[in-house]
Amino acid sequence: MRDQSISFRVKRGIGIAMMLALLAFSLLPILWTLILALRPATHLFEPIWSSPTALTLDNIASIARSDFPRALLNSFITAGASTLLALLLGVPGAFALSKRRFSGKFMASWLLLLLRMAPPVGFVIPLFLFYVQAGLIDTHIGLIFAYTSLTLPFVVWSMWTSFNQIPNELVEAGLMDGASLWQVLRLIVLPAARPGLVAAGVLSFLLAWNDFFFALVITRSSTTTAPVAIMNFVSYASVDWGAIAVAAIALTLPTVPIIIIANKYIVQSLGGAVKG
Amino acid sequence: MTSVRASAAMDRSYKLMLLPASLAVGIFAVAPLVGMFVLSFTDFHLIRGWSGKIGLQNFLRLAGDARFLSSIYVMAALSFFGVVAQVVIGTAIAVGLDRIVKSWRFARGIFVIPFAVPHIAVALIWLSLFTPTLSPITAFFATFGIEVPAMLTSQTGAIAAIVIADTWATTPFVMLIVLAALQGISPDLDEAAAMDGATRIRSFFLITLPLLYPTLLMVALFRFIETLKHFPLIFVMTSGGPGRATQATNYYAYVQTFQSSNVAYGAAIAVFLFIFAGIISFYIARSNARLSDA
Repeated sequence: MRDQSISFRVKRGIGIAMMLALLAFSLLPILWTLILALRPATHLFEPIWSSPTALTLDNIASIARSDFPRALLNSFITAGASTLLALLLGVPGAFALSKRRFSGKFMASWLLLLLRMAPPVGFVIPLFLFYVQAGLIDTHIGLIFAYTSLTLPFVVWSMWTSFNQIPNELVEAGLMDGASLWQVLRLIVLPAARPGLVAAGVLSFLLAWNDFFFALVITRSSTTTAPVAIMNFVSYASVDWGAIAVAAIALTLPTVPIIIIANKYIVQSLGGAVKG
Repeated sequence: MTSVRASAAMDRSYKLMLLPASLAVGIFAVAPLVGMFVLSFTDFHLIRGWSGKIGLQNFLRLAGDARFLSSIYVMAALSFFGVVAQVVIGTAIAVGLDRIVKSWRFARGIFVIPFAVPHIAVALIWLSLFTPTLSPITAFFATFGIEVPAMLTSQTGAIAAIVIADTWATTPFVMLIVLAALQGISPDLDEAAAMDGATRIRSFFLITLPLLYPTLLMVALFRFIETLKHFPLIFVMTSGGPGRATQATNYYAYVQTFQSSNVAYGAAIAVFLFIFAGIISFYIARSNARLSDA
């Protein structure tokens, strides 16, 4: 059999070596961050293999004492509220876009994609000027509205894709039984589209959670979010690497399980347009 | 996809469902972009305000602005090398998981992790890896007497550093989508090619890769538009430097607006970036429309 030949084994060996190298590239920076989080300042600039037992929990304690937990809370509030707002406004709209017959569907899909791709700096400049006038700088509500410019087009787009996969017969059957369109949406279509709904909600949350740029421009000290607050550990005089590593891990912890569990839906939602 | 037949009352319900979403998209997302366009034709300055002047002066100024032109060059380098690296490596991982190491069930989860790390954390992690006094990479090679060059202080090094950090973080996105597409391609095709005497590598390049092409193109477009919007990586790792070596166009728009107070000029740069988004989103929307008509 050719599959047992030496040349096949060599090629397979090269393939496995390549995969191991790529696995190391993915994983080693994560391990490095974990190490950094546990290193005392006194041993920071020594290689880990020269003093492998010099580990401490001080960095975690100092983060707990800092303003960072409050910034995490700000991130939760703003990302969560913006996601709720986007779902509440966007889901019925996406349903209508999917099931109603009308001619503007191409324009609507173009607009939604365009809003998703437009440069954030284009949104931020006019928002900033308006917020200064309206007194919305450094407020939760201001940041929530700004995030909704990201989350709403995303939610409408991905729920539109999800609803397209719900057969029209299901909607028609509900209507035949005398339910109103709203009841059909709430009682029949949404339960059937639940995986898509969860994915849209979760990914929209991450979109806002990961934001750095909007919060950098729109917030100041009182509503600053975690991605901006992490920069407080960087100053010209010194960089508190241990604190940064702990904060980076705190920022990432909520997202890892979400991404691993939802990665099936990322293909569907993030790549809603990507059909082979 | 055909739509559900509608009565007049139902049509009213549909309109009621569309209304809040349309209004909200208009207020939250479209209005700021309209603001961007309007501002780009003024001479609004954060401190001096607006003199009442309206015209194309910002766009004329762009054409002769050396910093703007060099920012496009930086943006093109970051996008080109980033997209190529991400598509090639992401495809390699997907093919590896699908064909070479099928039994590594845990590996898919591990490969996805960097994608979960928020951009600001990606930037700080790689800043630490590129800080010579701190980096374990530098320390590791130093034990063999090899000196690793300081990436962030040279022009090409700084661009390479940003491309590497971006590639680390976003390759999983490419991997996930290519993997899904690969699993939709029948393995029978490869077997048929093998019957005809093609080696596996040949059959990959001659059969699998052409079938993947539409997916790869879409993924590359998505990544391209994202790489135009680099911000945290540049802000944290290089602040646009050394000199202006990593000052990409998006970052330059930020600098002009929020550091030099040239709001209108910044808006004009944003309009320039917006044109890319307009073209690529139109292309993707059109190919989607063709797919759903078919």
